[in-house]
Amino acid sequence: MNSAILESINEVKEGKGDEAITSVSNTTHLRDDLGLDSFDLAELTVRIEEKTGVDIFENGVVETIGEIAKQIDG
Amino acid sequence: MKNILLTGCSRGVGLSIAKSLIASGYNVYGVSRKITPEYEQLMNENENQVFYKSFDLADPDSVQEQLFKNYITNSVPLHGFINNAAIAYDDIITNLNLDRLRNMYEVNVFSPYNITKYAIRNMIYNRVKGSIVHVSSISVHTGYKGLAMYAGSKGALEAFSKNTAREWGERGVRSNCLVAGFMDTDMSATLGDDMKDRIFKRTSLKVPTALESVADMITFLISEEAKSITGQNIHVDSGTI
Repeated sequence: MNSAILESINEVKEGKGDEAITSVSNTTHLRDDLGLDSFDLAELTVRIEEKTGVDIFENGVVETIGEIAKQIDG
Repeated sequence: MKNILLTGCSRGVGLSIAKSLIASGYNVYGVSRKITPEYEQLMNENENQVFYKSFDLADPDSVQEQLFKNYITNSVPLHGFINNAAIAYDDIITNLNLDRLRNMYEVNVFSPYNITKYAIRNMIYNRVKGSIVHVSSISVHTGYKGLAMYAGSKGALEAFSKNTAREWGERGVRSNCLVAGFMDTDMSATLGDDMKDRIFKRTSLKVPTALESVADMITFLISEEAKSITGQNIHVDSGTI
């Protein structure tokens, strides 16, 4: 798992005053499991783009950690 | 120091906006097609406060690369975006030329929308409650012969701004339009004196809109003092009623 993803999720969670998470899997759902809304996902996108140079929403909506990883790995 | 991105910075009302921002202590990140001696002078007099990037807004596809990867990266927290650059394609509707219309929409609409996208991304990355101001035109609200196409492009900005305000308000991002009356600038130079006189006589004050009045209102809308103002169209137009 790309560490940029977990780091970025925790930066977003920190901004919301939520507790950090320690692990995610490819099937972890961004909205249902992590409680991220569309604004949180926008912030997550810019944080991941800053670290990896990849805009994860450029090719359509992503819903799970696995889909983010796939975008980053190309 | 707060950082403001200003398009169309090098002449006309853009130059007045740059001066007003500098006087209020903002860092100005200017963008225009060509630098002018006047803007160069501002840079020389205000070292490390006034910056410049040459970019043609007719190329909205290059906005991210040119303005946000090579100029204002996420390491520069963006506190404001002033969409001032515009071109006027004036003609009666029956003469509409699609290529000229498309070019105007690239500059007046598509690039500003795309810059707004990346400006808001910068703001949420840096957790900044930024302020966006689009310079609109009185022609959106009062019809003028020959300005239907130009006014249409500015009307698109007003609708975009109002919806930006609603969408991003909960993240503290504000968006307003400054509805400017007719100013005596290069952009209105193609209008004949007769037409200009008729336009100015339609105003309450019977004079062109002062550039400084537009510029200082924009600086106010960018500032913390305007923190409760969003989703509005603020008219600075010599009282065109």
